[in-house]
Amino acid sequence: MFDALINGLLLVLQWKAFSLMMVGMGLGFVVGLLPGIGGAATLALMLPFIFKMSPAEAFAFLLGMHSVAATTGDITSILFGVPGEAISAATVVDGYPMAKNGEAGRALGAALMSSLVGALIGALVLALAIPIVRPLVLSFGSPELLMLALMGIACITSLSGLGARGQIRGFAMGFLGLLLSTIGQERQSGALRFDMGLMYLWDGLDLVPVLVGIFAIPEIIDLAVRGTAIAGERQPENLQAGVVEGIKDTFRHFWLVVRCSAVGVFIGILPGAGGGVAQWVAYAHAVQSAKDAKDRERFGKGDIRGVLGPGAANNSKEGGELIPTVAFGVPGGGAMGILLGGFLIMGLTPGPDMLTKHLALTFSMVWTLAIANIITVLLCLALLGHLAKLTYIRGGLIIPFVLFLVFVGSYTANGQIADLIVTFIFGSLGYLMVLFGWPRPPFVLGFVLGKLVETYLFISVSRYGFSWLSHPVVLVLIFLTGLVIAYPFIQERRSRKREGVGAT
Amino acid sequence: MVVAAYAAITARRWSFKTSLFPLATGIPLFVLAGAQLMLELFGRDETTSGPAVELELSTHVDPALARTRVAGILTWIAGFILLVFLVGFPVAVPAFIFSFLMLQSRVGWRLSLSLTAVAWLCFYGLFQWLLNLPFEEGFIQSLLGI
Repeated sequence: MFDALINGLLLVLQWKAFSLMMVGMGLGFVVGLLPGIGGAATLALMLPFIFKMSPAEAFAFLLGMHSVAATTGDITSILFGVPGEAISAATVVDGYPMAKNGEAGRALGAALMSSLVGALIGALVLALAIPIVRPLVLSFGSPELLMLALMGIACITSLSGLGARGQIRGFAMGFLGLLLSTIGQERQSGALRFDMGLMYLWDGLDLVPVLVGIFAIPEIIDLAVRGTAIAGERQPENLQAGVVEGIKDTFRHFWLVVRCSAVGVFIGILPGAGGGVAQWVAYAHAVQSAKDAKDRERFGKGDIRGVLGPGAANNSKEGGELIPTVAFGVPGGGAMGILLGGFLIMGLTPGPDMLTKHLALTFSMVWTLAIANIITVLLCLALLGHLAKLTYIRGGLIIPFVLFLVFVGSYTANGQIADLIVTFIFGSLGYLMVLFGWPRPPFVLGFVLGKLVETYLFISVSRYGFSWLSHPVVLVLIFLTGLVIAYPFIQERRSRKREGVGAT
Repeated sequence: MVVAAYAAITARRWSFKTSLFPLATGIPLFVLAGAQLMLELFGRDETTSGPAVELELSTHVDPALARTRVAGILTWIAGFILLVFLVGFPVAVPAFIFSFLMLQSRVGWRLSLSLTAVAWLCFYGLFQWLLNLPFEEGFIQSLLGI
């Protein structure tokens, strides 16, 4: 095994494979920055180019591109409040307020370093776990994945504020997201639902226009209302010092970063759970690690932990997703499904062969994840100061460019003008939600997971009737979900007791 | 409540399998929205509850001015979408950016032109040349057969 580990490294360091990895990284850097153009779509676009490559070169190219996109997606989330990737949406919640507070450099430094730590942990787990992860993957069927998705939504709902009102709003938004995901053809029977006679809605609402609209448009509106730069009237911070401070924050909260990386790896390992869940569960964990209600109130206003958690989970998830993909041919997420196409083009069969005959190639993927992220972080650190300066440019100059990126990005989802209208509608809805205090994250997660939840529910009921509710792992997940839902009420009761004691 | 009621009423006409998930999500949504309405109308002030972990809109701008600016930016966004529909992205992007910079941001014409050129180069170089993404022609071009 040690020989395979070294051979894997040597495969990546061959000049052709290394050059192709750098090209892929360059492409992934740009794709990650651009809202709407996802890493998965770009993977699909690049597949035809790998026909003439060797397997090591092909995976260095594809994985270099994909792993970097997950890192750079955080940059636009922080600078403009526009998620560069769907998996970078959670970074907006605290990253953008930090930019508005004049701490863009610090947020970027923290996002990059936590991404690097997450990527390295993900790569390490991938290297160590493949021989032993089989029982875990095989023990998670549709009922368990259903409960995991519902637990993810419950985690996010717990961020909606303490007390009955906060929780009601959060759950209502989660259910609204789930309901809107039913628009279009029902997967099992093909029946059309809520299409309103529009052919555009037969495939349902696309994730990209909804996500980009609901996060980006409210920010743009707020920037226009303020009439200032993103960082307000503040004097420019010492950006390099801010970046260094952000890097130090990663090590100040090191165990939080490690825990969130573990969350990302675990969710990545589970086929079908998706990156959408990992970032929000990690964010929810970061919030719940707050010492008390007053500490918790800092989240959403520019708390560095709100950037560290999702940043780590987004990248560690990559390593986790590769485990079932390489070892069992079961894609860990959407992008991994496309990567499986790469395996077929190369004439490789995921499974036992990848852990025996082609073990060096498997380890080359581990090394690609690690090396690509290290190089990206080092290069980004040189550029971050300049990128953070964008937050001091007058809002009137930034807004048209951000709008251009937002709408071109939305358009690329399906190539239809209707996507722009969807972006506008959900952007307006997002603004009203923020204005009246209705949380967006539960809605987004409900929408992202809705189709999966319905499919898992259908398979669970068809296969097991209702006896799946008594499966051991399902029972554990139900208990954990109940705990997550009850936790904000427990916290509120504690804070009321403390206030009562303080008053006396 | 209206959305949930509409969903539940519409779903009743479908088969069990098709209506199950919309009903399973629409009915709780209706109940929760109703509960929230009751709390808003008759509930006590929850001063001890923490705020939602969400972005906060700026509050230092005069409300009347804020409303004007919101209406203004929404009009610009709607105008951009209309422009894309009429003339397609390749023409709409530079036209929108130039007019926004000149009319809304009150930037001088030299800077507006330079920034518009940069934006158009980014659009053409990245989206059309490098990524080769297809952009539909506008309604006017298709009407005139250009």
